[in-house]
Amino acid sequence: MQPTTETPNMNTPEAANETAVTPDAPVTAATPAAPAAAATPAVSATAATPASSELQHYGVHHSYIWLGTIRSTLAILFVLIISMFSSLISIIEDGGVFELATMGAIVGGIGLLFLLLVGVIVLVHFLAYKRLYFTLGPNEFSLYSGIITKKRVHVPYDRVQSVDARASLIQRLFGVRNVFIDTAGGAANKAVTVPYLTKAQAEWLTSELYARKRQALQPQAAQVPSAAGAVSAAPVYNQQGNVLDVGKQAWDEIGGVFADESQVPQVEMRPSFQYGLTNKQLFLAGLSNNTSFVLLIIGFISIISQIVGLASQIFPSQTDMAINSFTSQVVNPMFGFGIAISIAGIVGFLVVIWIIAAAGQCISFGGFRARRIGDRVEVERGLLQHTRQSISIQRVQAVVVKQSVIRRLIGYCEVSLDKIDTNSADDTSQNSSLNTHGVVIHPFCKLSDVPGILQGIVPEYAAVPQGRTPVAPVALRRAIIRRCIWQGGGFWLAVCTAIVQIAINLSFVSGAASSSDDIAFLNFTNAIAIGLYVIAAVVFVLEAISAVKWARESGFAVNERFMKMINGGLSREERSFPRNKIQYGFTKTNPFQRISNVATINVRTAAGVGGTSVDMKDVACEDADDWLNWLQPHPSQVQSAQPLQ
Amino acid sequence: MRELPSSQLDPRIKSVWRINDAIWIVISFLCCFVPFAIVAAVEPASWVFMVLAVEAIVFLALLVIFLIVLPPIRYMRWRYQLNDDFLDIAKGIVWRKRYVIPFIRVQNTDTRQGPILRAFGLSSVTVATAAGEHEIPGINTEHAEQLRDRAAELARIAREDV
Repeated sequence: MQPTTETPNMNTPEAANETAVTPDAPVTAATPAAPAAAATPAVSATAATPASSELQHYGVHHSYIWLGTIRSTLAILFVLIISMFSSLISIIEDGGVFELATMGAIVGGIGLLFLLLVGVIVLVHFLAYKRLYFTLGPNEFSLYSGIITKKRVHVPYDRVQSVDARASLIQRLFGVRNVFIDTAGGAANKAVTVPYLTKAQAEWLTSELYARKRQALQPQAAQVPSAAGAVSAAPVYNQQGNVLDVGKQAWDEIGGVFADESQVPQVEMRPSFQYGLTNKQLFLAGLSNNTSFVLLIIGFISIISQIVGLASQIFPSQTDMAINSFTSQVVNPMFGFGIAISIAGIVGFLVVIWIIAAAGQCISFGGFRARRIGDRVEVERGLLQHTRQSISIQRVQAVVVKQSVIRRLIGYCEVSLDKIDTNSADDTSQNSSLNTHGVVIHPFCKLSDVPGILQGIVPEYAAVPQGRTPVAPVALRRAIIRRCIWQGGGFWLAVCTAIVQIAINLSFVSGAASSSDDIAFLNFTNAIAIGLYVIAAVVFVLEAISAVKWARESGFAVNERFMKMINGGLSREERSFPRNKIQYGFTKTNPFQRISNVATINVRTAAGVGGTSVDMKDVACEDADDWLNWLQPHPSQVQSAQPLQ
Repeated sequence: MRELPSSQLDPRIKSVWRINDAIWIVISFLCCFVPFAIVAAVEPASWVFMVLAVEAIVFLALLVIFLIVLPPIRYMRWRYQLNDDFLDIAKGIVWRKRYVIPFIRVQNTDTRQGPILRAFGLSSVTVATAAGEHEIPGINTEHAEQLRDRAAELARIAREDV
């Protein structure tokens, strides 16, 4: 049940130069660590045991050569066209006469150069392809690459964090994909990329890595919380699909040129729980993304500024306050018409952007599937660019239930899993944006459905504590002061506006000799200032509401194995993590908090890049102390307890 | 309130802090002072002398704060305790922090010794977890070794890395 095996008989990476050109050589069990054993005819001796097949060299698909070439070629073509264009223009300008011969020479020269470059690229890709292979050793996965400088990357199976497979549109057409193996090691934490595997190979590699990881962790498996009972009892939730699933099915049927569907291995375990998105969920997820909230605010601000601007522009030399002129002129039908047109324009523009963003979101979540297979969670998504993320349950750092402002209003939320992220799996921005969110296991679901989903997909988290220890009563006052004043955008906007307005007004008063232009300018500034005050007041009120809601809803809860932190407000975030994923925790107090007898508690987990802090401000001191006591390891967790000092 | 951790740093750390801070303050002072002093020498003007005077006053104030006022307070506030299975740290003057670091989460521990610490026979111990590291700035070398060994032993017991 193995995919196509690339067969160059390479004994050591050093010897690869000589032997790589004989692709028809028989498959040889060869390990770089033991070249002597491989050089002797040990094939028959080891081939009988399954261990020998682990050391086969698996090459990547040959589309690596030409798809990679096409990618680089397009980039070069682009550069060449631009440079050619500018030089042609300059010749035409210099000579003033259209010289066909010079033109031809230049075009021919550039064409030649281009062909030469393409040749070099093909050669480079071909050589790189020949030298690129991976092996599955008894304890570690190894990737060998490099034309001149040989590179080897070894990943011990038990250090595998997650295995993702991604395919761009072109790759998808040909049924190949890149596989990223994430190890979460060290500061320069980078995923190992195995490029251009066929779909069959990618699936096989993923399940193989997880199977070996499970084996490597076997001695400790007894300690892993078992969820077998819960899994078998869990009903399969929401099998019905949505319209974009048709696209996914089409993809699955076409599969891509080299997908090699016949060789897709039977998964070692059937998914115990799987779900997709309904039409409603998919579209609402698209419509209620974060872009829409930003657009709402932009629209609101621009409409206000439009009204104020129009009001002061139409009657600039009015000696009254511009706001008065505005109120008196609103009744004027012509004036109202102008405002209506400009507002309609803004609204139309925003709606178009919104629809585009929503469509993009829908497509990126098209064909969404989340499933639980054995001890790993797999999420598949993307209609055009396909992504399949899989993460072992032991590597999940936290379960996050997030509600943005708009989703909060309609009672829906996003569920995701925190994991340790890579700095950059690849250079493309798309990957980094994927990584920053962890693994989204449901982009849009009813808050009341969350327990069901979690029960099915991460039953280990069923024991998360209910209820909460609320923040101290004094937190309400402190939250209002903090959010509305110190960190209050509205307050500071008002202060800055007031300072500028006073400064401008004072400078005109001291100038004394005011012409009508000056007065108009003064009125204009004052009108703008009033608009800004209105915005500041709205922001201030929103912040006050947010602070009150935060103080009412926030809190934390702990039990034997889990901790939960709820941070409310206009948006809401609930984060549950197992106690053994807490790297360390601390309490923090500033002088004001000490007066009020409260403290901030702060938990650090390893999720994200370089760790994530989750904090809860203004918890009563006694609760914070209890929490610190809870955070201390129990004696049972550590066997050898020799007192120090 | 939770009781403060029992151990304090080695008292000699105060001298280490003083020397360290003095070096930094003098260097930054010279960087600010010398250019203006040159200007004053080339072209004496009253504003240059004003700047020089202000810089000298700030310099003296910083020296007083960092060499006389802060070290004893910092020393008083900096406490730690080596428990069986976790490290307890309390520190901070204005923002007081209290850390609990389970040893089973510790990835590695280093002992470090700069020239100043070495002159006083002290070591600093750094305890790193997967989400950040903590330094205990000055304890005597024997104690530091003990702490490091303890953390290493418990890190070995830990079931999985992260």
